Amino acid sequence: MSSIEKKIQKDLQGKAYWRSLEELAETPEFKEFLYREFPQGASELGDSISRRQFLTLMGASMALAGLMGCRRPVEKIVPYVKAPENVIPGVPKYYATTMPMGLAATGLLVESHEGRPTKIEGNEKHPASLGAAGVFHQASILNLYDPDRSKLVLRQGQQAQWADFVTYWQEQFNQYTQNQGEGLVVLSEAFSSPTLARLRTEFLRRFPRARWVAYEPVSDENLIEGIRVATGREQLPVYRLDQADVILSLDSDFLTMEGDSLVNARGFANGRRVRDVNDSMNRLYVVESTYTATGASADHRMRLQARQIGAFTAALALALEKLGLRIRVAGELSQYASHSFDQKWIDALAKDLLQARGRSLVLAGRRQPAAVHALVFAINNALANVGKTVSYVDPVDKLLPSTRDLMAVVEDMKAGRVKTLVMFGGNPVYNTPADAAFAAALKRVEQTIHFSTHVDETSSQVEWHVPQAHFLEGWGDARSLDGTMSVIQPLIQPLFGAKADVEFAALLATGKEARGYDVVRETWKAKLGNRNFERKWRRVLHDGIAENSQMPAQAPRERAAEIARYLSAHPFPKDAADKNKLEVVFFASPAVYDGRHANNGWLQELPDPATKVTWDNALLMSPKTARDLNLATNDMVLVELDGRRMKLPVFVLPGQPDYSVAVALGYGRTHAGRVGNGVGFNTYRLRRSASPDFVLGASLVRTGERYILATTQDHWSMEGRPIVRDADLEHYRQHPEFAREMVEHPPLKSLWKEHSYDTGYQWGMTVDLNVCIGCNACVTACQSENNIPIVGKEQVWRGREMHWIRIDRYFQGEDLDSPAMVYQPMMCQHCEMAPCEQVCPVAATVHDQEGLNVMVYNRCIGTRYCSNNCPYKVRRFNFFNYTKDTPEIVKMAMNPDVTVRFRGVMEKCTFCLQRINEVKIRAKNEGREVRDGEIRTACQQTCPTDAIVFGNINDPESEVSKIKRQNRNYEVLSELNTKPRTSYLAKLRNPNPELVAES
Amino acid sequence: MKASAETTALQAEDGQLIAGNPTFHTVSESISRIVEVKTTKAWYVLFGFFSSIALIFVAMIGYLFWEGVGIWGLQIPVAWGWAIVNFVFWVGIGHAGTLISAILFLLRQPWRTSINRFAEAMTIFAVICAGTFPGIHVGRVWVAYYMFPLPNQMSMWPNFRSPLLWDVFAVGTYFTVSLLFWYTGLIPDLATLRDRAKSKIRKAIYGAFALGWRGSHRNWQHYELAYLLLAGLATPLVLSVHSVVSFDFAVSNLPGWHTTIFPPYFVAGAIFSGFAMVMTLALIARKVYNVENFITMRHLENMNKIILVTSLMVGYAYSIELFVAWYSGNPFERFAFWNRATGPYAWAYWTMVTCNVIVPQVFWSRRMRRSIPVMFVVSILVNVGMWFERFVIVVSSLANDFLPSSWHYFKPTIFDVGMLIGSFGLFFTLFLLFLRFLPMIAMAEVKAVLPQANPHYYEPHGNGKEASVKAGSHA
Repeated sequence: MSSIEKKIQKDLQGKAYWRSLEELAETPEFKEFLYREFPQGASELGDSISRRQFLTLMGASMALAGLMGCRRPVEKIVPYVKAPENVIPGVPKYYATTMPMGLAATGLLVESHEGRPTKIEGNEKHPASLGAAGVFHQASILNLYDPDRSKLVLRQGQQAQWADFVTYWQEQFNQYTQNQGEGLVVLSEAFSSPTLARLRTEFLRRFPRARWVAYEPVSDENLIEGIRVATGREQLPVYRLDQADVILSLDSDFLTMEGDSLVNARGFANGRRVRDVNDSMNRLYVVESTYTATGASADHRMRLQARQIGAFTAALALALEKLGLRIRVAGELSQYASHSFDQKWIDALAKDLLQARGRSLVLAGRRQPAAVHALVFAINNALANVGKTVSYVDPVDKLLPSTRDLMAVVEDMKAGRVKTLVMFGGNPVYNTPADAAFAAALKRVEQTIHFSTHVDETSSQVEWHVPQAHFLEGWGDARSLDGTMSVIQPLIQPLFGAKADVEFAALLATGKEARGYDVVRETWKAKLGNRNFERKWRRVLHDGIAENSQMPAQAPRERAAEIARYLSAHPFPKDAADKNKLEVVFFASPAVYDGRHANNGWLQELPDPATKVTWDNALLMSPKTARDLNLATNDMVLVELDGRRMKLPVFVLPGQPDYSVAVALGYGRTHAGRVGNGVGFNTYRLRRSASPDFVLGASLVRTGERYILATTQDHWSMEGRPIVRDADLEHYRQHPEFAREMVEHPPLKSLWKEHSYDTGYQWGMTVDLNVCIGCNACVTACQSENNIPIVGKEQVWRGREMHWIRIDRYFQGEDLDSPAMVYQPMMCQHCEMAPCEQVCPVAATVHDQEGLNVMVYNRCIGTRYCSNNCPYKVRRFNFFNYTKDTPEIVKMAMNPDVTVRFRGVMEKCTFCLQRINEVKIRAKNEGREVRDGEIRTACQQTCPTDAIVFGNINDPESEVSKIKRQNRNYEVLSELNTKPRTSYLAKLRNPNPELVAES
Repeated sequence: MKASAETTALQAEDGQLIAGNPTFHTVSESISRIVEVKTTKAWYVLFGFFSSIALIFVAMIGYLFWEGVGIWGLQIPVAWGWAIVNFVFWVGIGHAGTLISAILFLLRQPWRTSINRFAEAMTIFAVICAGTFPGIHVGRVWVAYYMFPLPNQMSMWPNFRSPLLWDVFAVGTYFTVSLLFWYTGLIPDLATLRDRAKSKIRKAIYGAFALGWRGSHRNWQHYELAYLLLAGLATPLVLSVHSVVSFDFAVSNLPGWHTTIFPPYFVAGAIFSGFAMVMTLALIARKVYNVENFITMRHLENMNKIILVTSLMVGYAYSIELFVAWYSGNPFERFAFWNRATGPYAWAYWTMVTCNVIVPQVFWSRRMRRSIPVMFVVSILVNVGMWFERFVIVVSSLANDFLPSSWHYFKPTIFDVGMLIGSFGLFFTLFLLFLRFLPMIAMAEVKAVLPQANPHYYEPHGNGKEASVKAGSHA
């Protein structure tokens, strides 16, 4: 590590942040900085810059920023000498941009305060967002301000300049031009970008013998391969779940983790939303190998080892065939006719699918092999779903990931055939399969270049490291899964002098430096046409999408013979894992994904949807498996798999298939940064390229050690209390008021005359439990909007997580090995008769005239009595000064409209009071009432399924009032006479009558 | 005097209140000497030990202020932990002192005179320990004064609906009255010490605190009246303070807290634990300071009877709580109590029941009631049990309330344990100072219950016992 890097590291840890520029000024490196276009701080903002200083830098000169040293934190505030146009201090602006992630891309709207992006929201116009944003999108704002991001170009670990790298590459470029790129390989992540695709083509044209391949540790390779087998074309599926009445998911977590999950969730919810007893809803069957949020939404869930799902699909195909559906490949499946699955279940499912012909949908998950996907295509095709509930698009401008390509490159590396390896993003040393032995292979390559956001596991072993910009820092473009084009519009100068993807790619492909803006515009000129280009370009930037740029949805023909041949060549395993030969399933973490978000504290602290574990991955196993192996939660076991061993903690999760254990990828990083280092266990070490998704043959040995897993919810049962109220659709039709009838209590009387709350705005909220999928997007959105601190694993273990909204998860049902799971978002209920208010000795929590229970932080002395008296336990206390060690740079992610709380004060959901007031002020200025739907709380805004509705309950015509009049509406613990302003719509299930009758 | 008449009646029935047939002089002599002799090594050792613990307590409080209340095991949902448990525990301890000095005084129970002084001292020190905890347990101590109704520029008053605020007033009043009561009772004895003092400094200090006491008739008349009035004032406080403390819980809506039985139940528990603490201290003090003649078996036995009675009251409260939880039909209430007895805190619950209800039953036996080792062990167990009672109430109710999603097991930290021990350090430090510098037994009052104080007393044959019997028969 260079000295300056060390110095910065030191500054990051120390308290002397506001002196660091002065300290830097003494170093020779700093002298170099002086020659550059931007002041040091402005172009690569250190951790050591306060918000105020940042503002100063935006408009001030070098002298102020760099050389003003003083002993006390006295800084000059410099006004804009020339104010940027249209910037009103305190009034945020919103810009459309796009977040790329592998083959997908999501359109976003980003809130910017005085040039500082603070909050991410979905772009309603973008087809992959529809106004919603998921956990990863919400949390990506924190990645921007990650203080551990790479700040310097490094050569052999020493500080270098971007210009040095350009010179170096130009030499390489000229050399490789002569030998047509022999020995030159680019290993990138999968991408979906017109500009990157153009540059890659250009690169390959210039270096015909070079290769540019993509690897993703978690990818849709199997899916694409299956479709290729079935149709002869590499295509991507686009689902229309709102059109489907019967949905079967085969190990696919399509609601939160796979495909365009936001769109899937919206479609699913729209097919499920029930307003009154006459409405119908879709039916979801899930067969899965680990409990996911999608499994929790299922009407019928079957737990099945991942390896058995292929045989299950075959059995289903046979059952459909038996019912008279012609599946042309069924002939190949006769060997699966005998099986151990519940035949009644399969028959009922088959009948259901068949009845909903053309309005049903079968999805298979990315973990399942291509053969399953091919067979699923055949089933969907036979059910006439193709073209209706699922269609296919060409992956234009996309680079598809391929583990096979990666392995080929690794072979070449080992054989010394790769002279120069450019790793474009990604972290192959960390996340490639263990049998690739990538780190060893890397040593055989003469020249290695890694372009990445962090000096990570890979960067620390390469010759050149070039910092990669965050998508909010540099220009780029993207196509969503369905092909819609949009521009990645930066909102801020690169904080640490990093380069955008397109700039790096342009250098690779042309050998010349280019500005990202120009590179992207060049691509778009070709796409939009030169006529009126500026106008169209501005339209695209403004809207965040290029209208009508999606690829045509196709219904390709089935190649039955090919599928049949493939199925016989790749038979599904028929044997099951057992006690001595366990199956291990690898899945992408719902928090840190494949590990790329490991340094993001919001995500590390995000409770897993099923286990509610934070800050760790664990070996998930069913209660029966644990009993048989004499294990319990928090036991440390030694996992042995194909000769590889590692220790993992056990977490017993009901609903796991017996003898199949699942473990998340993405943990155990060593070079992630201060947050992610050493969190959890690196399970890539158990993964092999031949079986990256699930593998048979693991054995577990008890070590006798204990390991503490920090969960946010320890108790799993509702104890028979009517908290989450649910019923079958049939029951609901017969008893429309069932939710309210579930509690009987004496008449509720008050000791005093109650406030009537009948004038002005009266805010209220509803949460539709029927469409809530437990995806956690609201939790992260709230964290971002309300400056909620990260507390760390130890504090979570103690029970001090700060989330204002939590997703309660309960298990239900008689079968303890395979219970149903229900979710309930729980936040301050804003009781009209708030128990917290009565007991606060200093009146720090009081009611306002609009019915909100408000916290006065300045008045709070922290007796915590309010929390004790809160029946919902939604209040959160600052047991320590949690923001004390927040690095300066992370403070830039804070919402300036929300107070950062000090230790010793209580806090809780405010219904996003700052948003309410912003709109109220605007309405007042315009001399009108606040319109219904004009105020959207952060949780509501990001919710992919529109489960949360907020508004004025004093207006009978408002959406929230209408929903509150629905018969499923109920208030939790209303028998305590708390009169909550938040109410819930009871959950409904739509089980197959045949399966209900059976049980 | 009526009191003396009763005294003699009691003596006739059950031996003497004060053994050893002391004269007025020997009473003054034997009690004053304790504070006049050279400080013993043992005292220094004990004082060194307990004051070190008290210092650690202070240091821990300093660290608490520096870091925040997170150093305790507190969390959501258990936002009140050992600090509040200790608070209620110490307030409870205090009750016996007031009960002995005020209520027994009003009820003319002359046997109280031997124990009331240090029982009252114990009250003061226990309330000091108790008062420490709510003060330090708030999140932002530097604005804890918001609790007081101080006029301010914001016109912000405290929330008079909050039981915590009632607590501030109740405990404040209690401490003030207890202190005044104790001090008033001390005045004649302070004057005795002043008169016996040999050094100038000693004379000056005791003299200042004796407020010019001369022992005149007028002095005694005012004294008796003031003492009577203060006793009258303190008596309702015995009932009110712990009732108000119990409102902290009873007024909330938490199952396990929201119970109307709490005020009497808390008062009974407080007297129970207070007497146990007086017992523990008395047993040690009478041995160490050789005042067995003043604190006789008769006093001890009487206290054991009170412990037995209050134990039964507490036991009744436990069972009625369970019954009402079942009878109410409220599922949350039922669960809360069922969970106490069988849930994750069952160990604490059964410790409480054993110590508070089962163990004191040995006092049905006269032999046990009069056995010093037995009563010593029992008195300590009762205090352990009563601490656990508060722990069970505070923690187990919070840990498992309405929504199972928020349930969380409470895990104390070293600071929780340290501060409980530290508060004992503070208590004993103060108590040792008291033993060293103030008369531990109310000399003036003891003299009043000696047979010689009876106007009908005469000494025909120099046999005190006979004389008093005669005196009794004359009355």
